[in-house]
Amino acid sequence: MTAALTVTNMSKSFAGPRVLDSVSLSVEPGEIRALVGENGSGKSTLIKILAGFHVPDEGSAEVAGESLHLGHGEASEALGLRFVHQDLGLVNTLDSVDNIALGVGYPSFRGRIRWRQERKRAREALADLGYDFDIRRPAGSLAMSERTALAVARALAPRQTPAKVLILDEPTANLPAAEAQRLFQLTRRVAESGMAVMFVSHHFDEVFGLAQSVTVLRDGKHVITRPVAGLNEDQLIELVIGRQLEQVTHDAKAAERRDVVLQVSGLDCDVLNNVDMVVHAGEIVGIAGITGSGRDEVATALFGGTDRSGEVTINGAAVPKLRPDRSMAMGMGLVPAERHANAAFMQSTLRENITVVGTGLHWRNGFLRKGRERSDVAVWLERLDVRPRNSEFAMSDLSGGNQQKVVLARWLRMGPKVLILNEPTQGVDVGAKSDIHKLVDEAAADGTAVLVISTDHEELVRLCHRVLVLRRGKIADEISGGRMDHDLITAATIGRDRAGAA
Amino acid sequence: MTVNEQMPLDPDVQPKAGGPSARARRSWAATLGLDRFSGLYVWAALILLFALWVPHLFLTATNFRIIAGSQAITAMVALGLIVPVACGAFDLSIGGTLGMGVCIVVWFQANHHGFILGIFAALAFGLLVGLVNAFVVVVLHVDSFIATLGMGSILSAGTTWVTGGFQVANGISPHFTAIGQKQVLGLPLPVYYMVILAIILWWLLEYTPAGRYLYSVGGNPQAARLAGIRVGRITTSAFVICGVVAAFAGVMLAAELGSSSPDVGVPYLLPAFTAVFLGATQILPGRVNVLGTLIAIFLLATGVKGLQLAGAPGYINDLFNGVALIIAVALAVRFTQRKKA
Repeated sequence: MTAALTVTNMSKSFAGPRVLDSVSLSVEPGEIRALVGENGSGKSTLIKILAGFHVPDEGSAEVAGESLHLGHGEASEALGLRFVHQDLGLVNTLDSVDNIALGVGYPSFRGRIRWRQERKRAREALADLGYDFDIRRPAGSLAMSERTALAVARALAPRQTPAKVLILDEPTANLPAAEAQRLFQLTRRVAESGMAVMFVSHHFDEVFGLAQSVTVLRDGKHVITRPVAGLNEDQLIELVIGRQLEQVTHDAKAAERRDVVLQVSGLDCDVLNNVDMVVHAGEIVGIAGITGSGRDEVATALFGGTDRSGEVTINGAAVPKLRPDRSMAMGMGLVPAERHANAAFMQSTLRENITVVGTGLHWRNGFLRKGRERSDVAVWLERLDVRPRNSEFAMSDLSGGNQQKVVLARWLRMGPKVLILNEPTQGVDVGAKSDIHKLVDEAAADGTAVLVISTDHEELVRLCHRVLVLRRGKIADEISGGRMDHDLITAATIGRDRAGAA
Repeated sequence: MTVNEQMPLDPDVQPKAGGPSARARRSWAATLGLDRFSGLYVWAALILLFALWVPHLFLTATNFRIIAGSQAITAMVALGLIVPVACGAFDLSIGGTLGMGVCIVVWFQANHHGFILGIFAALAFGLLVGLVNAFVVVVLHVDSFIATLGMGSILSAGTTWVTGGFQVANGISPHFTAIGQKQVLGLPLPVYYMVILAIILWWLLEYTPAGRYLYSVGGNPQAARLAGIRVGRITTSAFVICGVVAAFAGVMLAAELGSSSPDVGVPYLLPAFTAVFLGATQILPGRVNVLGTLIAIFLLATGVKGLQLAGAPGYINDLFNGVALIIAVALAVRFTQRKKA
């Protein structure tokens, strides 16, 4: 039997080291293959090459024995490769019929669209996947697993050539556990129909619960392809990170316990489910978790930017929800993720960007004293080494790292009791990153309780006294002391309880 | 909403901005003041042009008085409009609010309630319009463009209802018309009110935390919210200020005209927007502001008046305003884009 998909000696580099280095693999019809590896191991690059998004430097691919013309999305589709990308690519305002048509058009169109036929077709396609919901509802109102099913239905909708391989990129990243189970059943049905399925995953439970075989990539290289049977989680983690977890070298920074400043109990919002945490004065606590674990929701929920339930207190005083102004007045500061969208005023000056918080400090007798603002801001630009060091430059004149420092200065200037940092060094160059780390250390040394939320696990190791690991909306692990290690954090985020506990 | 903001923020391009070439260009342009004061240059050029072209008509004290006096009301409406536009909201109901201001203050006098009460009633009505606009935009989350377009239409109906569809001119107190028609140092009083209003708004926008918050909300509402600014409250204040200022301009217009008629406010809507957006290319480029708006108003008025004196037909007013707005904003966008490239 010919393999459904064969990849031979695939290599790719983007101006520098190889992100994909001579990778070969093959998947049989009816097989469910998991593709696992750390961030940057080359999984996404491989999938984007197969989708025709990137052109490889070397290598070839065959689909059911036919050679794939690489670098052309239509060629991949013509040979029977079907993709469901992580963001699903649905238009939230359109219903199921229209979303399916985005991929394949309206097959009933002969001068007019025959809606009844189209709806029947969509309903049957979803029924084949084990789903039955109102197809007239806009995609945005569907449950996450229904949305995923819709994306799969679109990928599998009949075209000129039959689908031979279904490739899913982190299909369960945004799914609660129960809905993930439904997706597993769906995937099995697809495989039983004779298609090959390859899925990228960070969840080990889905590797073990769903896949028959697993391919591990590390640093762009193919490590192993083997059946899942006979493999345990410890062995898989070792294959992924390339060494045993016991070789922990770091010690967490010694925590000097002082008074509790931030206390959170029963925090519920969106994915987060009954989360408790405590941050002491002078302590830096990290939060880690994969996408969909609730990691990204913690910061804005605590600050009041998004709705929540549960109790948040600073020095014993309750912080009301949905009131960022009250949170701020009570001594909380937030450096949100995605600076452009959530923090920066690109057309405003650095001075205005910094003094947007605590504007009233230089308001005397009915006038803002701009000279005093300038000298105040100059001190902070100096302290954070922002370049160019001119308070009247527009934010858009600065590089990403300098913009981030300006946003940080905004809050450090206020001397907050609690400082929440979400991805503090996102899109920041190495030099600025180390500066920012020093500033966070200094803030903590001054008694600020710091919460750092990050997907950069080395950053968490560098900064934190202890790290809380979120999994599916709950705190699944706490890492501190001798267990402080970025691989261990990674392992804990992808699903092993009490990783490395000796 | 500022002019620059309508360009996409390209993250790849952003960090490179401010490189050596951009710096050089900036200093070159800054020396001439072309980035901030181009309007003053154009204004001077227009004055020079018409002074040479039609000297006996253009270069007269009367002409300058007419230009100043005729623009006072438009300038007040435009100044009020700056406030919501600064925080990213449109107020298309200013024409209607102005019209209702005229009708209310005249109605009070025609029905023998006195003009003082009429003035307060008109201002209170402007405040009410601002609150309703804010409620629809902030609480009901209707886009400000649509919300105030609807409100403008409702107010237009209101003016017809109050006036009965006819011009009303009976019972107007001479004390009331004096407010709008009396001249001091050769200029009608509304010019002075307009200047006072401009000073107050300049102070509000440039020298108070509230002004800073307005621009922050306009620049990035999400970031403003996460910086602890109460976006809803700021937006509400902006609509209220705009409504009260438009109603005040209506009172002044009624005092100038000595009468009211339906739809008297509508012709003020577009010139006010033109002035605000054209003004955003001046003084504080990329940002709607008081001085820029005033420069825009008087630049346009000078150009139109000069052309009229030189024999241009009546429709030159709208034509000149439209062409000037598009060219000026296009040039400003181009300038900012080049700076970033």
